[in-house]
Formats: sequence, structure tokens, C-alpha cells
Amino acid sequence: MTVRTKTRLVVAALLLLAAAGFLAALLSGPVETSLRELADFLLGRGGDKATIFRDLRLTRALLSFVVGAALSLAGAILQGYFRNPMADPFIVGVSSGASLGAVGALALGFDIVLVGFSGQGLAAFVCGLGIVSLVYLVSQRRGVFRLESLLLTGVAAGAMASALTSFLLFLRADSYEQAVFWLLGSFAMADWRQVGTVVPYLVAGLAGAQFLAKDMNLLALGDEAAEALGCPVRRVRLAFLVIATMLAATAVSVSGIIGFVGLIVPHAVRLLIGPDHRSLFGVSALGGGVFLLFSDLLARSVLPATELPVGVITAAVGAPFFIYLLNQRR
Amino acid sequence: MTRRGMLLLLLAAALCVSGAAGQTVKDDRGRSFPVPLEPPKRIVSLAPNITEILFALGCGDQVVGVTRFCDNPPEALTKTKVGGLVDPSLESIQALHPDLVVAFRGNPLRAVERLQALHLRVFVLDIGRALDDLFALIEKLGAVTGRAEAAARLNERLRGEIQAVRAALASAAGKPKVFLVLHGQGLWTCGRTSYLHDLIVQAGGLNIAAGIAKDWAFYSRERLLQDDPDVILILARSPEEFAQARAWLAGAAGLADVRAVRGGRVFLVDQNAASRFGPRLAGTLREVAALLHPECFGRTP
Repeated sequence: MTVRTKTRLVVAALLLLAAAGFLAALLSGPVETSLRELADFLLGRGGDKATIFRDLRLTRALLSFVVGAALSLAGAILQGYFRNPMADPFIVGVSSGASLGAVGALALGFDIVLVGFSGQGLAAFVCGLGIVSLVYLVSQRRGVFRLESLLLTGVAAGAMASALTSFLLFLRADSYEQAVFWLLGSFAMADWRQVGTVVPYLVAGLAGAQFLAKDMNLLALGDEAAEALGCPVRRVRLAFLVIATMLAATAVSVSGIIGFVGLIVPHAVRLLIGPDHRSLFGVSALGGGVFLLFSDLLARSVLPATELPVGVITAAVGAPFFIYLLNQRR
Repeated sequence: MTRRGMLLLLLAAALCVSGAAGQTVKDDRGRSFPVPLEPPKRIVSLAPNITEILFALGCGDQVVGVTRFCDNPPEALTKTKVGGLVDPSLESIQALHPDLVVAFRGNPLRAVERLQALHLRVFVLDIGRALDDLFALIEKLGAVTGRAEAAARLNERLRGEIQAVRAALASAAGKPKVFLVLHGQGLWTCGRTSYLHDLIVQAGGLNIAAGIAKDWAFYSRERLLQDDPDVILILARSPEEFAQARAWLAGAAGLADVRAVRGGRVFLVDQNAASRFGPRLAGTLREVAALLHPECFGRTP
């Protein structure tokens, strides 16, 4: 089978899974709903449950899908950027940094809106970028990234950001549910505005990444080789770093920290369709959407009367996968 | 326009004016709610103390949804559960089509905002800092549910009960130093902004954690040894839990030398009643006052 047909098959399978996931997400919840009622809603015939379908379940499913796509695309970019399959917004510390920014903005009452960026989103972006730059500076020696230092710096910087986040949350009186939200992620309170916040960044990020995908393929040969082949390495690198951070920060600012999505999905996609970034980016985004859609579905249906933070599910799947990858590379 | 039409129009106008001039009640987020001409028929309560007050006001039949923690009065257990305090299910609430949702501090603000976005009327109440704040809470809840009279009667009864405790304490000798601890959480105690602090004070005691300007805080064993309270109150759910907690204080916690432990003045306070800012607090006040000052209540110390 050629790579092309394989890619097509994978995309078709993912689309089918996405459709199934959305259908399952629309049909499951604490309130009993039938296929017939869903059909009524989908055909625009309104009905008693329309609000539940439209404003609660569909919003939530869409938000988990676009956040999953953003995180997974950020992971695919970071893995290419660091030439390392273990990079992911969570492991590299971007998510924790973004979460710190978002919580810090909340704690300081930084509630302004600047050209479409909320104060919170902006602070999340700045802190995420700060952490990833720190990790970059510490873990590279003459343009070479050592796996150990990348992982350790990322984990350490992430832990530091998480500790500061916990500290800020601790200072506030009623912070339990907020702490759970920011540190483990949740879609329980998803609304349309949040979906609207993520979509433009996801579209812009995907377009940007796709535009530079060829250059990412060149970067895989090493910076010098890429430069020699006509790739403006510094500018391309900067662009990718900004795109990945922007995607992760937007995702975190609406859903809290959800780890490992950006690690598992691009990796699995690479195994299936190969390392060509021209198709890897798009398929990773689609796969990430499907993965988080199902993770959230699981998070809200595992326990009867309550729900788990979605980060618990992704970590339960992701952490063993991470250990497996680490073991493989030894 | 016919005369009849004019009359109808006038009637409608009069109704509008009377509606606009009708009384309003503010919730604790500062939003105004009209005092309804018709009491709400489908109420969802998002906190156990709210559920208790609603039942006490006689709205029990109108309550259609409660949290999984709402276990008092027992009839509340038969109502549909809409999730917990921090994780109410928007979907379950929406499906009940409530005409009033009463939220409490402790419910996430996000949840309140989402419910409002679903066009539900959400009345938000804050927790009080003192026992007396309970009256305002009951009054507001009475106003918004169209049961102002029942609320006034309930408040009158509670005021009477509290007054009786005060009268009994008039002859109290001294104020014992009190340490209140929540079972199972280490030395988790109430600071001076908590209504339980006020309850200890009104029961004729001195809260040793009064220096802490928080609702709840961890107390250190060192300070507990230094403050040497005369009485320790353990909030526990059952006598078994209480026995366990008392044994822990004297044993593993290393607090056997504290005066309250030595003198056997470690008492159980029903956590279920004490932890809910509702009408049962008057009874808790009496119970605690009698534990601190048995002489005033005709009990042997």
C-alpha cells in the first residue's frame, strides 16, 4: 500500500470515528434521550431536549474536539521542532506555563480584551512561551537537543509553573473546583464562546503549519542541512514555536491542563502514515480531536452520578504510553 | 377602538404598572429578582442547607431537584439528584425545567453563569459569617419563593430558640477555651470568619483559632498544646467516627496532655447539622452551649 492510500484510509477511518464519537456524545448524558429525539433536533424540529443537545452536549463535544485538535497539532509541531518524539505541550511545560498565566490573570483580575485576545488568553500565551523558551535555552547545546535534558527541563519547569499555579489557587478562598479545573482539565462548563475562541486559532495554526510543513521536513535533516537546502531555519523555527505555543495556550485557557494528547496522537499517526509533515499535521489534528472527544465521553460516563476530570483519562492512557516510548528508546 | 378593547388595554397597562412597581429581592450577587405573584412551581436546590430551608418554608413539594448531599429532611432523598455541590450537572438541571434555581456559595461561579446562559433564573445565596446572617438568608429565600410569611414565622421561632440559649447562659461562669475540629481532616478548624466561630462565641466559649482570619484552616499541634483548650468539639457523622477521632487525639496525634483530653471534655457535635448554614443551627447552638456550660442547662458537669 502506498503512503498516499494509507493516509486516505486513516483519514476516512478518523472521520468515521469522529462521526460515531459525536453521535455517542450527543446521545449520552445523565438525562435519558432517544435516537428519535436526537433526530428531531438534527432535523431542526426543535423538541423538548433541543437545549440539552445544542447548548450542552454539542458544545461540549465540539469544544473537546477542537481542543484535542489544537493540543495534538501543537504536539506534532513540538516533536518536529525538538526532533524528538517525546515532546508534547504538557511534557515540554507549555501547558503548565499557560495555565499559570491564565490563573495569574484571573488572580490579578486581569480581565481585559486586546484585539481578540482575552487578558487571560494573552497571559497564558506569554507564560507558555516563557516556559518553552526556557526549556529551549537550557536543553540545547550547540543546536543539539539531548533527550534527557529536554525531558528533565520540561518536567522541572512544568512542576515549577504548577506549584505557582497551586499557590495562586490556594490564596483564593473557594478554589477547590478551580484547582481541579486548571490542574486536571474539564469540559463540564463548555459554552459556545469557548468554541469560538479556539476555532480561529486552530484554523490559523493549521494553515500556518501546513504552509511551513515542507520546511519542517527539511529541519528533520538537521539545521545546517536545512539551511543549505534553502530553508530559513531561524525564522521557520520561531514561527513554529509561536504557532505551537499559541495553540496550546488557547486550548489551556478554555479547558485547563490536559496532558499527553499531544504526545500520543502525533506518535500514533506517524506510525500509521509516516513522518511526512505535509500530511502529519492535518491528520494529527483530526486524530487529536477524535481522541479527546472519546476521552471526554469516557470521563463523563465512567462514574454514574458524577464525572472525572478529563485529564485523569488522558493521563491514565498517556502515562503508560510515555513509559513505553521511553523504554523503547533505551 | 371598542370600549371593551380600551378596557382590556387599561387592564393590561395596570397589570404592567403593578408588576413594575412590585417588590424585588436581591440575591447575594446583587441581581434583582421580582417577588413573584405566583410562587415558583419547580425549584432546584444546589446545596443541602438551601434544601433544608426550602422544606422548612413549606416548599418541599415544589422542590424538583437537589444535590446528592441533600439528605435532610428525609423527604429530600426522594427528589431527583442533579449532581454535587462543585459538579452540578447542567443537563440534569435543564431537563427538570425549573422556574427557579437556588445556588449557594460553594457552587462554582462558572456553573451559575452557564445556567443563566441557559435562560434559567438562578438565585445565588452566600454563606453567612454569623448565626444572625441566617435570618436574612431565610428572608430572601422566603421572598423569592413567595413564602415571606413562612419565612417570618421560621425566623421568629429561630430567634426565640437562640434567645432562650442566651437567657440560659446569663448565669454562666467564665468562658471555656474551645477547639473545634472536623473529623478525618487532621486538625482542620474554623477561623474567625466562619459562622461556627460565631456559634462557639454565642454558646459562651472562646474559639482558640479566633486569630485566624479564614473560614477554615489547619491548626498546628504545637499551638494546640500551647493554647491548651478546656473543651474540644469534634464534628463527626456518627458516634463511631467520634470515638475514632477521640482515640486519635489522645493517641497518634500526641495530644493526650491537652486539658480537654485529660479532663474528658472532648465532645461530639453532629457534623450534618453543624456544617449546614440552615435552621438546625439553633439546635446545634443549644447543644454546644449545654456542653460548654452544663450548669446553665440543669445538667451535671
